Amino acid sequence: MTMRQTFLLICFATLIPLALEPNGYYIRILTLALLFAALGQAWNIVGGLAGQMSLGHAAFFGLGAYTSTLLLIHFGISPWIGMLAGGVLGGIAAFLLSLPTMRLKGHYFALGTLAFAEVFRVIANTWSSLTGGPVGLSVPFSEPSLAMLQFNETRSYYYLMLAAFVAVSMIFVIIVQGRLGYRLRAVKEGPDAAEVIGVNTTRVKIHAAVISGSLTAMLGTLYAQLNFFFDPDTVFGALQISIRIALIVIVGGIGTLFGPLLGALLIIPLEEFANVMLADRAAGLSQLTYGALLMAIVLLQPQGLAEFAKKLAARISGKVMSSKTEART
Amino acid sequence: MDIFVNRRRVLGMGGAALATALMPRLAKAQQGQDINVGVVLPLSGPSAQFGINSKNGLELAVEELNAAGGIKALGGAQIRLIVADSTSAPTAAATAAQRLIAQNEVVAVIGAYVSSLTLAVSEVMERRGIPLLTISYADQLTERGFKTVFRLNPKASTLGQAQVTGSIEIAAASGAKLERAAILYEDTAYGTSQSAGLRKASQAAGLSLVMDEAYPQGITDVTPLINKLRASEAQVVFAVSYLNDTLQIVRTMRQQKVLLPVVGGAGGFILPEFASALGELSEGVLSVNSSNYDLDEAHAKRYRDRFNYPMVHDAIEHAALIEVLGQSLETAAATTSEALRGAVAAKRFEGGWLDGMPGGAADFDDTGHNVLAEPIMIQWRSGEMATVWPTERQKMKPVWVS
Repeated sequence: MTMRQTFLLICFATLIPLALEPNGYYIRILTLALLFAALGQAWNIVGGLAGQMSLGHAAFFGLGAYTSTLLLIHFGISPWIGMLAGGVLGGIAAFLLSLPTMRLKGHYFALGTLAFAEVFRVIANTWSSLTGGPVGLSVPFSEPSLAMLQFNETRSYYYLMLAAFVAVSMIFVIIVQGRLGYRLRAVKEGPDAAEVIGVNTTRVKIHAAVISGSLTAMLGTLYAQLNFFFDPDTVFGALQISIRIALIVIVGGIGTLFGPLLGALLIIPLEEFANVMLADRAAGLSQLTYGALLMAIVLLQPQGLAEFAKKLAARISGKVMSSKTEART
Repeated sequence: MDIFVNRRRVLGMGGAALATALMPRLAKAQQGQDINVGVVLPLSGPSAQFGINSKNGLELAVEELNAAGGIKALGGAQIRLIVADSTSAPTAAATAAQRLIAQNEVVAVIGAYVSSLTLAVSEVMERRGIPLLTISYADQLTERGFKTVFRLNPKASTLGQAQVTGSIEIAAASGAKLERAAILYEDTAYGTSQSAGLRKASQAAGLSLVMDEAYPQGITDVTPLINKLRASEAQVVFAVSYLNDTLQIVRTMRQQKVLLPVVGGAGGFILPEFASALGELSEGVLSVNSSNYDLDEAHAKRYRDRFNYPMVHDAIEHAALIEVLGQSLETAAATTSEALRGAVAAKRFEGGWLDGMPGGAADFDDTGHNVLAEPIMIQWRSGEMATVWPTERQKMKPVWVS
């Protein structure tokens, strides 16, 4: 996609809220979808480019939410600064996590990271004097202002999340097109071959992990400011954060620029509407439907929605042949 | 690797997004003369049973109110409940509240049972200035200076204190002096926060804690815990857990002839399934509670006849919230959130479904805390819950076997 087209897409995204109630339901869902698209994009740096299936990103996310909120509660520090502090801590946590887990492969890496996030959840639940414990933390109510990152209208948060998604995506593109991107792909295709041609694979993986962890932590701050309340199970939860982020990118298309956006725009509304439509029918029906749909998507479109969208577009424009030759196996 | 898309795909995505954007305008249905009241409760997930009991209580109270002529000050307007599932995630609960406000123009929201869900919902409500009526226990709900939160029940810390002081008083009435206690709790948010309150209250009351132990929720073998409990020589055990662990602990204790009194912290101890699963082993088990059906048998009978299930505390308290709401709408004689909020804050409520509350009335202070809320203690007697403490609310004399 050219610069101009990207620019048009962003313009279009900025116009959507004008058609929606500023404090409505749909704008909230889109806002959450954009937040998760940004989280997916941050995850994509590790999961997509380096091919390492992290199931522990909740650790960084929660760290960011707690850092900025605790700084705000105890010292009145603006969440913007809190977000930077969270980003630094998230990067450090990702670095520390990388040291032992970078040698793990496949499932073992996934399990190691999953356990890492669980450790944070348990600490947040038990270290009550610092974290407030299981009852959670409330972001102090203040007059709406950009400086305190607090708004009355969901519309403002929509733009905030849109900006976050664009920013994380730009970082992703820069990495993809730069040296780190080539090295990461070399590591993904074959770590041994990469070592032979002189890539320091451990260092490359740590770089990616630190960038990804730091970005995820910063997005954790945005989540805290959007929801104003969170508890350890919400921000450090495996199912609610770690697995959902990975799922969004897997469904959307791993390693692609638009995969996280497509995945989030499908999964977040799907969860919500399955819940709204089916919650009063029978217990568990909404989760069952949601699960069945996800399985269908993964079975029918194992390479993700981004690939599907590409094929679809190619078919419409009659370029079926060229798409076949392009398609990765 | 091709990470970019072409122009058509962008257009396709744009079209889909625009269609989504236009949906709410089309979907907005005509509202009748009814007064819409939002309900956010966990109707799926681990707390679903509590959500369903709560919903039943709300529905029965609303049906009766509407059948009796609705809100007379508003020309007999009928109350219509718009129910949304909060699931068990705070984010989803807040989204549900925002949906009710945006799409159904609710004058108030009732919910969301689980404290973490209620806290998330309250953040949305406060920013929109719409009243939130709740029965959730968490202390911090009314400690953030919010103007729109009204909590009918005692605070969690008050309930924790009652669990300790109630036990001491009941023991004293039978001539026993409590000195050593044990705390057993499940390793969850609920268990950890409740046990913290218990610990504080025990220390304040001068009890020495000879055992203070957490165990993982869904524990498969409680025998080691019970052995430790026996060796600790505690005179009473304070237990905090949901149903399954509760059943295992009480069953194992009694089977191993560890007969010391068990005092539960609500949760699984005040569910009808507790007695139906344990049979006569449930006899004499105590628990703290925030209301009980024997305090208002007329209303409780109507509920039991209708749903073929005892009117558990969740149902009583939610029905009482409808009483508060109905009386407020009569006083406000308006359906604006501001007028309604003012009426809830100013008025003292009594009668009707509030008869089932231990204080029989509600009066909210500036923080939204009900100053007339009182904790009680119930005891399982022949498969039913009897209110045994405090003495002035007593329906049956407590039995303390030490």
